[in-house]
Amino acid sequence: MKTQRLLSRRDFLRWLGVVGSGFALDACGKANLSAPRLTKFTQTSLPPAAQDTPFSNAAPSGIPYLVISHGESPAEITCRAIKALGGMERFVKNGNEVIIKPNICTDYHPYEYAATTNPEVVAELVEECLAAGARRVRVMDSPFGGTAQSAYRKSGIAEAVEKAGGQMEVMVGAKFAKSPIPQGVDIHEWWVYQDVLAADVLINVPIAKHHDSAGLTLGCKNLMGTVQLRDRLHANLHQRIADITSLIRPDLTVVDAYRILTRHGPTGGNLEDVKLTKTVIASADIVAADAYACTLFGKSADDIGYIRNAAGMGIGTKDLTAIKIEELTA
Amino acid sequence: MSQVLAFLVFLYLFIQTPYLTPTNSFSGLFFRLDPLAALTAMLAARMAIPFLFLSLVTLILTLVFGRVWCGWICPLGTILEWTSPHPQKKKNVRRSDPGKGWRKIKYLLLGAMVILALFGNQTLIFLDPNTILTRSLAGVVFPALRFGILSSEKFFYQFKFLSPVLDAIHAAVVEPLFHTSQSVFIAVVPIFLFLLLLIALNWSAERFWCRYLCPLGGMLGGLSRFALLRREVTQPCSECVLCSSHCPTATIDPQTGFHSDPAECIVCTECLQKCSRGRIGFRWHLTHWQAAKRQTYDPSRREVLTTIAASVGAVALAGIETIVHRTPERLILPPGALLTDFESLCIRCAECVRVCPTQGLQPAFLEAGWQNLMTPHLVPRLGYCVYNCTACIQSCPTGAIPSLTVEEKHAVSIGLASIDRDRCLPWAYNTECAVCEEMCPVPDKAIVFDTGGNSRENSNLLKPRVVKEKCLGCGVCEFHCPVGGEAAIRVYSIPDNKPPLTGI
Repeated sequence: MKTQRLLSRRDFLRWLGVVGSGFALDACGKANLSAPRLTKFTQTSLPPAAQDTPFSNAAPSGIPYLVISHGESPAEITCRAIKALGGMERFVKNGNEVIIKPNICTDYHPYEYAATTNPEVVAELVEECLAAGARRVRVMDSPFGGTAQSAYRKSGIAEAVEKAGGQMEVMVGAKFAKSPIPQGVDIHEWWVYQDVLAADVLINVPIAKHHDSAGLTLGCKNLMGTVQLRDRLHANLHQRIADITSLIRPDLTVVDAYRILTRHGPTGGNLEDVKLTKTVIASADIVAADAYACTLFGKSADDIGYIRNAAGMGIGTKDLTAIKIEELTA
Repeated sequence: MSQVLAFLVFLYLFIQTPYLTPTNSFSGLFFRLDPLAALTAMLAARMAIPFLFLSLVTLILTLVFGRVWCGWICPLGTILEWTSPHPQKKKNVRRSDPGKGWRKIKYLLLGAMVILALFGNQTLIFLDPNTILTRSLAGVVFPALRFGILSSEKFFYQFKFLSPVLDAIHAAVVEPLFHTSQSVFIAVVPIFLFLLLLIALNWSAERFWCRYLCPLGGMLGGLSRFALLRREVTQPCSECVLCSSHCPTATIDPQTGFHSDPAECIVCTECLQKCSRGRIGFRWHLTHWQAAKRQTYDPSRREVLTTIAASVGAVALAGIETIVHRTPERLILPPGALLTDFESLCIRCAECVRVCPTQGLQPAFLEAGWQNLMTPHLVPRLGYCVYNCTACIQSCPTGAIPSLTVEEKHAVSIGLASIDRDRCLPWAYNTECAVCEEMCPVPDKAIVFDTGGNSRENSNLLKPRVVKEKCLGCGVCEFHCPVGGEAAIRVYSIPDNKPPLTGI
């Protein structure tokens, strides 16, 4: 006689599958929603913690700490600046994994509008890294206006980089992960692109331009493109940029000031706001490079909160009189 | 299985060509081949839309071969066929077929849609099978798949040693198929439930939707009565009922010598393969041509008249749903679209929703009133209108979103941003913030700063203000506003455009 069972094996498995997948879906949702809460809502920057650590940016003897290079061709002045800093071999060793972080903020305008980094400067750096023996050179940013693909294309950087032998990478959401910021003053962890932290060499290639809340967007500010939830950094922008910089610490910063945007930044759109300064600033010290770039706008490093904070945290020096600067002209 | 090829073409067009990337292509092919959308759109808008004349191809195909669209091309039909339980394979399927009488619904629905279209109303076009499928894929299936895949990626990226493999998979498969952006849809549940309902109805009768409800099926079925190629049964027939039990639309009737109604036959040729004696054939009716016989389930004159009267009544009812109600202040239409033309022209196909790179365009549920169910609108908090993007414009098959160049689009405002000074960080809380101004894509900036104002503590603080003449209403400021929940800067419809109470 066949007994009537309450639940057959097949039905049980089916039930298990449905409930299980429900839980799995639920877990997906939670994983996705676990965004960081705003940390304490501080109004102005806290007094930065005194850092006694010596600069790790010190240049080998005989080599200038900061190089300023003027000239007609963006690629050529970049090349000379790197050579004066000791050549790309100083930064890139054979087989290294290199990431270059230009500023490709939107897909609104081509590079002549000085809202995005000059493609020739980026391409020159890609070529030099490959010549120095880099295994792979990836170039990436996360634009806030338009898609990454279209911004890469519009800026002219995609074409130039691919021609130079580098790879454009569209940042993958899954590769941002919560990373501790040991030296952080206001924020102690943030969502950072893991490849940027893992790369052997990170080269930061900002364009110098006007920016209302930050004052100017330069090297430290450019690093915001490597983290998620950027809008939330604005709650205490100048300290949080410095905190992010203390974690990411690019090995080399090349400020593209061939064209600078003097008003209506960071997006731009008027050629009248663009000033041809035909300069590239390079240093292993991101703070020093930013400090010098301020002078192009008639400002000093002390006018810009995040440079003050970064210098105070010992990330680099903003004192341009204390370092060896070499100025190259064509 | 006869529809696999057409379905693959549909899927290819859906994924490969412009999914989330603004390029012009053949992606709208299935809408251009859709005679129902073409008829109602042209009637409702009272204009000829050149692209839609491609649907004549479908009409001619139908007049020659019968309802081949339904059996060989229609991508929704393919899905319904695949998801239909086959009684031959599953013994325990109990069907509760509502019976032949329901077949008339599709004709009456078609009639209602045509009458509504005559009065400029296209509300019911959301029942067109092409629009249902595109909307469901773009608004539910793909976003959900993408969410699942990106979430699992996130999980696996925790294990560092998997990174090279994941990078390769991401670059080769995930990125080209799904892109990295996530999309969120407000109307996801109603769209999903509707698709689920259509699939669930298969348990009542195989291809329930195609058989009883589909208005496009009604249109093509009506035409198929005049088709040249028709199914025929030659005697002697062994009456084995293999053909009638396998017919997906159950139009092969054992009572009438296993003949079928050309209006119901979708030319799937299932019966041809099943017939043990080879007595079934599709033959040309050229010399002895005459229209197929009327069936008992064809709508009677009384039913047709009732439908016409009901449709006219519905138009009148729709007319007293005020335009004000259909255009709430937060309803932002795609660039250049004007409400009244938009209502008549938009076929609710969700092509624009599919291609919008920020996925800010959303199919409306009831936000724009009952009449505008499933029409697109921009929800800036979920995605903004990209300054240089014309993806929705290029994808629109009817021109409901007028064709504008990038330069023309820069001259068109879709809304106006407004700052909520009670929540804005600098205004309300004396906190430095200038995100909205930074994001503003207008070259001269449509957001400027005032100093001073109502705050006494820090009069040097920059406080944003919107310049009405320059604001395009793109909503990038609202999208990026760091205030939690609703943004402190929000885009509203343009205040100059207060609509009249009704459309008269």
